[in-house]
Amino acid sequence: MFKNKKLWSRIGLFLAILGPGIITGSVDNDAGGITTYAVSGAVYGYNMIWTLIPSFIVLIIIQEMNARMGIVTGKGLADLIRENAGVKITFLIFIGLLIADIGNTTTEFAGVAGSLEVFGVSKYISVPLVGALVWILVVKGTYQLAERIFLIFSVSLLTYVVSAIMGHPHWGEIGTAIVHPQVEINSKSLAMMIGIVGTTIAPWMQFYMQSSVIEKGLEIKNFKYSMIDIVVGCIATVVVAFFIIVACASTLHEKGIQINEAKDAALALKPLAGEFASQVFAFGLFVASIFSATILPLATAFYVCEAFGFEAGIDKKWEEAPEFYVLYTIILVLSVLIILWPNAPLIAISLWSQVINGLLLPVVLVSMMLLVNNKKIMGEYVNKPLQNVIGWGAVTVLIGLTVTLLVMPLFGK
Amino acid sequence: MTSFTTFYLSRIIGSRVYDAHNQFVGIVKDLFILPNYISEGVERPLVAAIKLKKGKTTLIYSFDGFVVTKVNGKISVACEELIPYDQEKLDDGVFLGEGILDKQIVDLNGRKLVRVNDIRLVSVPTGTFALAVDIGVEGLLRRIGLAKPLKKFLLLFRVTIPAKFIVWDDIEAVDFSNFNIKLSKSHKKLETLHPSDLADIIEDLGKQTRLSVFEALDEEKAADVMEELEVEAQIHLLENLSVAKAADVLEKMPADEVADILDELEEEKAEQILREMEKDSSEEVRELLEYPDDSVGSIMSTEYLSFNKDNTVEEVLAELRLKKPEAEELYNLFVVNDKEKLIATFSLRDLVISEPNAAISEIMKPSPVHLHDDQEINEIAEFISKYNLLAIPVVDKENILQGMVVIDDVVEDLIGKRKTNK
Repeated sequence: MFKNKKLWSRIGLFLAILGPGIITGSVDNDAGGITTYAVSGAVYGYNMIWTLIPSFIVLIIIQEMNARMGIVTGKGLADLIRENAGVKITFLIFIGLLIADIGNTTTEFAGVAGSLEVFGVSKYISVPLVGALVWILVVKGTYQLAERIFLIFSVSLLTYVVSAIMGHPHWGEIGTAIVHPQVEINSKSLAMMIGIVGTTIAPWMQFYMQSSVIEKGLEIKNFKYSMIDIVVGCIATVVVAFFIIVACASTLHEKGIQINEAKDAALALKPLAGEFASQVFAFGLFVASIFSATILPLATAFYVCEAFGFEAGIDKKWEEAPEFYVLYTIILVLSVLIILWPNAPLIAISLWSQVINGLLLPVVLVSMMLLVNNKKIMGEYVNKPLQNVIGWGAVTVLIGLTVTLLVMPLFGK
Repeated sequence: MTSFTTFYLSRIIGSRVYDAHNQFVGIVKDLFILPNYISEGVERPLVAAIKLKKGKTTLIYSFDGFVVTKVNGKISVACEELIPYDQEKLDDGVFLGEGILDKQIVDLNGRKLVRVNDIRLVSVPTGTFALAVDIGVEGLLRRIGLAKPLKKFLLLFRVTIPAKFIVWDDIEAVDFSNFNIKLSKSHKKLETLHPSDLADIIEDLGKQTRLSVFEALDEEKAADVMEELEVEAQIHLLENLSVAKAADVLEKMPADEVADILDELEEEKAEQILREMEKDSSEEVRELLEYPDDSVGSIMSTEYLSFNKDNTVEEVLAELRLKKPEAEELYNLFVVNDKEKLIATFSLRDLVISEPNAAISEIMKPSPVHLHDDQEINEIAEFISKYNLLAIPVVDKENILQGMVVIDDVVEDLIGKRKTNK
C-alpha cells in the first residue's frame, strides 16, 4: 500500500533535518570571528591552531543540549528561561543580549564595509545598501527563502580554503604546531586563546540553535540525524577557522606583518599571495558579514519579544507584531548609523560587545544546564551523568576563561 | 475603609504578614485560587488560600483569615487567624504565581497566546477574586521594580506607559505542567474558538502542553483542529497520542485529509492507526493512499452525494435532511446510473427552486465537466477557474464516479500551506 521509499526517505529525512546546525555553525564565523582568527594567524603563526580542538568539543556539547531541549520541549530557550528563572533574571539577560547584539551587528557592518573597500567600494555606499537589502529580505521575504540563501552562503565560506592554499603553507609545520605548540603563556596570548574559544560560542547562538530545531519541527526519534547536522556544522566552523588562521600564518606571520582587522589581512595578502587570494579572502569576509548581519538583529528581536510575551516572527504582519519589527529595525538602523558616523570608536564598540557577551555567556550557560537537568521540563531526556560532567566542565572552563579575560585589564596587560 | 481594594499579585508576593498583636506570621509566597468557584450565581476565581514562608517552613492557610488593605497606596496583608488549608482541596485549583504568572495563556478575544506579566485582584466583602491578567509593558516594569519611578519620570514628558489587561473570563490557562488532571479536563472556553485559531495556538505551544490541550478537546473539535494544523504538528500529535485516540479523531475527518496525513507518518504507525479505525473509514483511506502524490485521486474528497435520475426533488431533499452532509458536499450533486457511472450533475440552487415532484432528470446538466483520478493536480486549477466550479466530479477509466475535487483543496495546494516561521 505504501510506496517503497526506505532509502530515499532516509536521505530525504536527513536533508530535511539538515540546516540548523550547519547554519548556526556558519553564523559562528562572522566578521568578529574572522578578525580574531586572522589576527591570531598573523601574530602567532600556526601556534594557536590547537585551541580550535577544545572549541570544537565545547561547541558540540552545547549545541547538542540546545537541540535536545528544543526538540523535547518544543519551546524556545527564552521561553524556558522566562518560565523558570523569573522576570528579573530574564530582564537582565535580555537587556544585555540587546546591547551586546547591537554592538555585534555593528561589527558585522564593519565587516561589510571593510570587505567591499578591498574591492574599492566606499562604505557610504555599501553599508546603507546592504542594510536596506537585509531589511527587505527579512520584512518582505520568507524564512525559507532566507534559510536557502544562508545554506548557499555557508558553502561559499569554503573560499577560505582557496586563500589558504594560495599562501603555500608548510603542512609539516602545521602538524607540529598542533601537537606541540610554541606559545609563551602571558596575558596577551591568553587573551588570544580566550578570544578564539569565545568567538565560536556567543550567547545569542544558543537561542538561535534552539529556535531553528523547533522551527523545523524535528522529532526526538530522528535525533541521530540532528546530531549529524550539529557535528557537520561544528566541523565546518572549525575547518573554516583553521584555514583562515593558516592563510594569515603562512603569509603575514612569515613576513612579520601586524594587522588590526580582517580587512587588513585581505589587503596584506595582495603582495604576498596575489590579488586573487586577497579578493577571495575579502569575498569570504563579505559573505560572512552579510550573513550574520541578517540573522543577528532578527534573532535578537525575536528572543526579546519571546521572553517578554510580544508577538514575533517574520511570518507575522507588521500590524500583528509591531514590537518585533520596530525592535528589529532599530537594531539594524543603529548599527548602520554607528558605522557611518565619522570616527566612530569601532574598536571600543567591538571590545565592549565582546565583554558583555563574556558576562552573559556564563549566565545563559548555567541557566541552560539547570533547564536541561530539570526532570519536569525534560522528562527522560535530562542529561546523563557523563553529559553533565562534560557540560559543567565546559561551563566552568568557559566561565574561568571569561573571568580571566575580564579581570586581566585590571592587572595591566 | 473602602468596600473594595484592588491590588497586583506582584505587589503582594514577598510582603511580610503580621497578626493583630504585630507578631510576624510569614512572607507571602503565593496565592491559591479556585477558578470555578460560584459567587452570587456567577463563576468567579476566588482566592481560597495563601502560601506563607516562615523561616524554613512553608505552610498553606485558608485565605478566610487574612485581610488585604491599602494604606497610602501601599498594599499590606494582615492575618486575623491561621486556619490550615485542607491539602485535599488543592486539587481543585491552581497557585497563581506557580501556574499562571510568567506562563503563556490563551487570550480568547485576541485568539492568541500571551504571556502573563502580572495579575490584578480585588478584595470585596464576599471574598478576594482574580480580576484580570496584565500582559502589558507596565506589568513587566512593575515586576522588575521600575514601574513607579519610570512612570513619574515619564509624566514630566506627558508620556504614559500603556497598560494592557485581559479580564479573567476571556483567558484560558493551557500550561498544565503545574495543574492536576482534574482542572485540565475543564477548559470549555477553548472549545469556543474557531478550529483555525485553535490550530494556530496549538502550534505555538510547547510539546507537552500541545498534547494535553489536544487530548482535552472533544473528538469533533479535535478532528476539525487536526485538519487545520501544519504537517509537523499533525505528525507530532499522531506520534504521541494513543493509537485508539488517534483513530477516533481521524475517523471524524474526510478520508482524503487522513490519507494526506498518514502518507507523512511512518508506515508502521500508519498501519496501526488504520487497523484501529472503523472498517469503512479505513478502506476509503487505503484506496486513496494507492494514488500517486501528484494525482487528482490523492487530493479528491470521497464524501459526495449521488442520486438516480429518476429521484424526485422531494426525495433528494428528504435524503439531504436525513444525511445532514457537510457544506462542501453540497457544492455539487451528482447523478449516476446503476453501474455508478457519472451521467450528470445538478446544483443545490436548481434543487431548491424546483417543484417538489419534479424529477432530477428535468433539472440535471448532462455530460458534465469531470476529471480523471490519474490526472495531474496542476491541471485542476485551470478547470476550476475556466468553468467557475466549486467542485468537480472525479471518475476512473471506466467513468465510474470516485469522488470530487473541492475548490478549498485546490486553493490550499496553489497557495501552499501558510508557513509559520521564526
